[in-house]
Amino acid sequence: MARVVFSTWRGESIDNRGKPESEWVESQYKLPEQYETDRNAKAFIGWDGFAIFDEEVDVVRLGTEYAATYQKYSEACGRCAPGRWGGRILYDLMDKIARGEGEMSDLEHLKEVSRTMMETSKCEIGRTVPKPLLDMMEHYEESFRELIEQKKPSKDYSVENIDYIAKVTAPCMDACPTHVDIPAYIEGVRDLRFDDSLKATRQTMPLAHTCGRVCPHPCEDECRRTNLDEPISIMELKRIGADYETDHGFEWLHPHEPAKEKIGKKVAIVGAGPAGLTAAYYLGLEGIDCDVYEELPVLGGEVAVGVPEYRMPIEKYNKDIELAKSVGTNFITNTRVDADMLRRFDKEYDATLLAFGTRLSKKVRAKNEREDMPGYWGAISFLDQVNLWEKYRIGSPVDLTGKTVVCVGGGFTSMDVVRCSVRANAEKVIMLYRRDEKTIIRNTTYEEYHEAVEEGVEFIFHSAVEEIIEDENGRLKKLKVNRFELVPDPDGGRPQLVKIEGADFEIECDYLIPAVSQAADLSLLPEEWELELTSWNTLKTNGRDYMTSRKGLFAAGDCEYGPMTIVNAVGQAKRAASVISRYVRTGEITLTDEEIMEDHLRKLRVYDKSEKVTGWLPGLPRQVSEKLSVEERRDNNREVNLGFTQEEAIAEAERCMRCYYIAMTAV
Amino acid sequence: MIKMTIDGCRIEARKGETILQAARRNGHYIPTMCYLSKVKPIASCRLCVVEVEGVDGFILSCQAPVIEGMEVKTNSPELFGHRQNIMKLYDVNHPLECGVCDKSGACDLQNKTLEFGVDNQEFSARDHKRDLRKWEFIGYDESLCILCEKCVHVCNEVIGDDAIEIHYGGYNSRIQPKGSEELECTNCGECIAVCPVGAMISTDFQYKANAWELQKVPATCAHCSGGCALDYERKHEGALDRSEPKIYRVTNEFEFTTLCGAGRFGYDFENRTAERDEEAFDRAIEAFKNARTIRFTSRITNEEAMILQRLKERYGYRLVNGDALNYKRFLESYASITGKTLFNGTLDSIAEADGVIVMGSRILTDNPAVRYHITMASKRQNARVAYMHPMEDREMQNVVTQFVKYEVGTEEGVLAMLARTMLEGKVDIKRVESFLDDLDEGYLSAESNVGEEELETLRRSFARCKKIALIIGEDCINHPRAVQIAKLAALFERFGNISVLPVAPKTNSLGVSLICDLDESTEGSVIGYNAPGDFVLSSYGDGDLDMPALNQQEGTFTTLDKRVVPTNAALPYGGYTLCEIAATLGVEARYTIDFTEELPEEKGFKKIRFDDIPYYFDNREGEVRGYEIKRMKHTVDSTIEEVEELPEFNGPILYRCDPVLQFGPQTARASQLKGEEAVLLGSQQFAMAARLKEGDRVKISLEGLEMERVFRIDPELKGTIALNPTFDLGLSEDLLSSLYRFSQSKIEVVGQPNE
Repeated sequence: MARVVFSTWRGESIDNRGKPESEWVESQYKLPEQYETDRNAKAFIGWDGFAIFDEEVDVVRLGTEYAATYQKYSEACGRCAPGRWGGRILYDLMDKIARGEGEMSDLEHLKEVSRTMMETSKCEIGRTVPKPLLDMMEHYEESFRELIEQKKPSKDYSVENIDYIAKVTAPCMDACPTHVDIPAYIEGVRDLRFDDSLKATRQTMPLAHTCGRVCPHPCEDECRRTNLDEPISIMELKRIGADYETDHGFEWLHPHEPAKEKIGKKVAIVGAGPAGLTAAYYLGLEGIDCDVYEELPVLGGEVAVGVPEYRMPIEKYNKDIELAKSVGTNFITNTRVDADMLRRFDKEYDATLLAFGTRLSKKVRAKNEREDMPGYWGAISFLDQVNLWEKYRIGSPVDLTGKTVVCVGGGFTSMDVVRCSVRANAEKVIMLYRRDEKTIIRNTTYEEYHEAVEEGVEFIFHSAVEEIIEDENGRLKKLKVNRFELVPDPDGGRPQLVKIEGADFEIECDYLIPAVSQAADLSLLPEEWELELTSWNTLKTNGRDYMTSRKGLFAAGDCEYGPMTIVNAVGQAKRAASVISRYVRTGEITLTDEEIMEDHLRKLRVYDKSEKVTGWLPGLPRQVSEKLSVEERRDNNREVNLGFTQEEAIAEAERCMRCYYIAMTAV
Repeated sequence: MIKMTIDGCRIEARKGETILQAARRNGHYIPTMCYLSKVKPIASCRLCVVEVEGVDGFILSCQAPVIEGMEVKTNSPELFGHRQNIMKLYDVNHPLECGVCDKSGACDLQNKTLEFGVDNQEFSARDHKRDLRKWEFIGYDESLCILCEKCVHVCNEVIGDDAIEIHYGGYNSRIQPKGSEELECTNCGECIAVCPVGAMISTDFQYKANAWELQKVPATCAHCSGGCALDYERKHEGALDRSEPKIYRVTNEFEFTTLCGAGRFGYDFENRTAERDEEAFDRAIEAFKNARTIRFTSRITNEEAMILQRLKERYGYRLVNGDALNYKRFLESYASITGKTLFNGTLDSIAEADGVIVMGSRILTDNPAVRYHITMASKRQNARVAYMHPMEDREMQNVVTQFVKYEVGTEEGVLAMLARTMLEGKVDIKRVESFLDDLDEGYLSAESNVGEEELETLRRSFARCKKIALIIGEDCINHPRAVQIAKLAALFERFGNISVLPVAPKTNSLGVSLICDLDESTEGSVIGYNAPGDFVLSSYGDGDLDMPALNQQEGTFTTLDKRVVPTNAALPYGGYTLCEIAATLGVEARYTIDFTEELPEEKGFKKIRFDDIPYYFDNREGEVRGYEIKRMKHTVDSTIEEVEELPEFNGPILYRCDPVLQFGPQTARASQLKGEEAVLLGSQQFAMAARLKEGDRVKISLEGLEMERVFRIDPELKGTIALNPTFDLGLSEDLLSSLYRFSQSKIEVVGQPNE
């Protein structure tokens, strides 16, 4: 909802011009009427129309600036004839009119060039830039006519105190927590320029190997190709650039040259997981020294000791870790940070970033649930033991020969638990889940669920452990399980899970592995700092600059958000690193315009699932990469997903519609 | 096959084909500005949009695949309107300098402007200063560039230099060297070839001639065994028809073929002899009568080789050609394993492979055609590429996935270990199986320095490859143990279902090896044909009797691809030919090409007249040029000798290797290439081992041949092997061409830097 003078956004047609404010119609979209606290926006213009918040806005100048932006941001473009020249002509003609030298025929040329751009441009940026300009020429025709007839410059033509702040986006980029320039890395694959592909990814995502393999890809849920047939396999295309660099042994391809000299600032980072690595990398690129403290003997956090080898080969993850090292990061392992150390960091470092994740397994809340009961095994510690052995030969192997394992979960961690149990030779592996199959797929991925079923995991849905029953020696013996059913809400609300009376059953088992969720271990926080926490018992920030309630102390990743995805941790850490890099220099907490716009656009939503897509041949199937067969993978740690063949990768990349858009706010 | 219609005509398309490909193959026209058939769709011009029944909006035909039952419309008033608008945009501010533009008359922009009737410019855009760049062979005029991106794509996807990129910037976009200020590449000039306008130009050709004045002579490049198709473009130098014609440039059918810089820029190596020197001719006949040996090189046509063979048959001359003899022996030994003559590898089999092993060659300079096909395999199939050689080649890094360094001289041992690694469990002949099982891996590994781990890595990375190509280089063919190495190489074809391509070392080594019955050594008086001798026939103008150069002759070459391809005379020749000498000596034929149909059928050649050999290009079949030699039956003998004790090379070593664009006396004579200095190129480590300083002038003695070089340090190189060129040695080059390429020669400093 936004108060607007005028709006054509997403096809709405609101015209409050000349009406008393009491009669104003509001826009139904979350348009950025307020740019920042204390800074109101005057207008917003983008791929799908424009909106005016301030009646005084000079629309012709606004359009001219928008056309100019298309020129400026053309690194995303300049790749097709209609876009390259058309965009230039749009701007030149708009500017000609705006400076008072236009003629009526220029309006006709504008419309003609716009039509060709909209029909034939390579990417959406070229197809959509003319859209708001045509809207303007229609709804503000008199403004154009006046300038042309009177040969005068537009009102704000020479005014300098208005900022026109632009941002290039795309539905997928908007949906990605770290806003990876997805169309660019896909174009790199399509053009067989894999180095360009990787560079595009690394602008905002240093874990290209990792997030090219184990990302739950929220981007694909907001891929515009879905409106035509199926979403692009965005995630898998990411690893191609990373594999290219690794396969050919190139020197690191950084998004830009790392700073030649250190700037003399130091940042402490607690935790060497995805968030810690990301922050260290981007701070290192800026010439800021980072000391990363890690409790475990190995680097990489949950991706190292949580995600199993068959999904994320450590050899590949180590490449991402080496990248973070390559910018001069100092890693200190086997070091658990405590309150005293944090107090010391507070004095010795210019900033501290907490990125220690959530490493406490939550309970399933059953009767007689005791962590010290033999046979009760928290998911985190189970996966630690499996992965430390399988990847690093630290500790001892997990051998479940002849054992029955029950896991309670429904998310990625529980999938890792059951599939690792299969590989540890368990006789029987059962997953208990409160809700249904559809939900488990939504919470993880179709592939993950499907592969677990193939490997012989038994899924029991609509069930929960009521009681843990031990044997005479106090060892876990069996579980009493309740069954539930989904009862539709007569008022149309969310269906309720209701226990089915008399349907309880028992499962005899050797191990119960709770993998319902994890919590942050906050014991390291100095009490006197009185840090604000969320209702989930995680560190509270405003979700934009990632500073905690204590100045200079930042938090990112799971310890801030709660257990979430790798890409979420990367996105938060990337933003935090950006804020920290300015904070250590100036002492100020600021966001760049790019970041402010990023947040506005996320609120507004770039993806429009009801939009009709034209100009693309529908029905081209999404490519599916080859997987190891069950027989080939069931008893070992070989990577299951073999990745795309080049042919598949190129075919998939060619399906990408390059849905770049430009948004611009006048402030 | 997919059934569909284009403009109402029913056509059959291939699965996986794009609409544009199907249309072109079936003779339907769709306009394009950026489409280049040998690279992936670029999709920048948007002219090729078409209408598809039932689909809203226009569909990009260069990228959209064909679908069963689809109905495509390639033209409509609306499509025409958009295409016309795109052409109007292309024309905005395009400099009207067609009068002096190299491309004028052969320019896509001109043609399409005409086609879409753009006769005036209704709007313009403010322009800015645009650069004019000039490098050694290649120039770039930014203001003429339409940013079709063809040059960038061909450089990356086919050549592999990846030397240019687009500087993105909307209207300010331009092409620029990638990763450096100046253009650093192998100067193949494909960027010039594919440029649809006059933006990428040959600096030498610029302002020399109009496209329509030049007459194209379709021919075959004479520099290496790639035998690439090219057109010599010639014109009379002056205004008069009587004046001497001259080759102005070389072009290629770039949609279907690719050419390296030696072919493109090294074209004027002709022997400009003005007249027939009767006295010299008589002396030549006399010399032939007294001679017992004819020594010749493999830079010769099949027909000339046939003439020499006929002379041998008649007069018993010993025919001596070292590199062809080695190649012949290699192939014969190879055939004893496979039971068939020749080999199964082709250039296409490399481009289609998803696994490529290069063994014993510095392939980037040795054979550009092979290198381009490796690039294609790498880019299109993400092929695993193992590069096995004593020296790493940094220029190949973007295609190579594993470098296996072995010690000089140990090729036999390395190939044996490779065979064991790659053919495990596939050999069903006991003898061969036990040969592989009995290999003394510990010894071979220690001597060659190739670890088991490296081979295991190689095996694992090739494990899922479906099409593997093995490229065998000259280091193996001219190896003292070549006969044994050939058998090992043949195991890959026979048991591994691997395409094996032993790369013919010189232009027509394969043709000569098939046509001529060669002898080991000279006896008595020697006639040298482009080689040293008591009487020298030379097409380089420095012998006792002139001969026509290969751009002055009709005839055929046998390429490394086992194809017999025709070449034509681009320039007249005033002197005598080998055919005339032979005729005088009683081996009669009116023209050299009369021997084309006499090439030995029992060796796989076809009985076909020269004029009947096809040479054309079309959208249906692509390049149709020459014919493939048939593989014939051969007796089998699967005995393989035990690997001999591996030789050891210590101290500074020289590797016979010409720099890019140089292939011997022909290129060394060409006007654009002849400035090249013969440089001994080594690493810092080599400099220390050989006690040399950057810039030292050194004298090298090789097989009694002395050569002077300037020594330079190349920071890209490692180890104690230096690259020693031989392109500047003229006729003497032949004396070295059959030797193992690595040698420990005396290097003597004869001058200091700045002397």
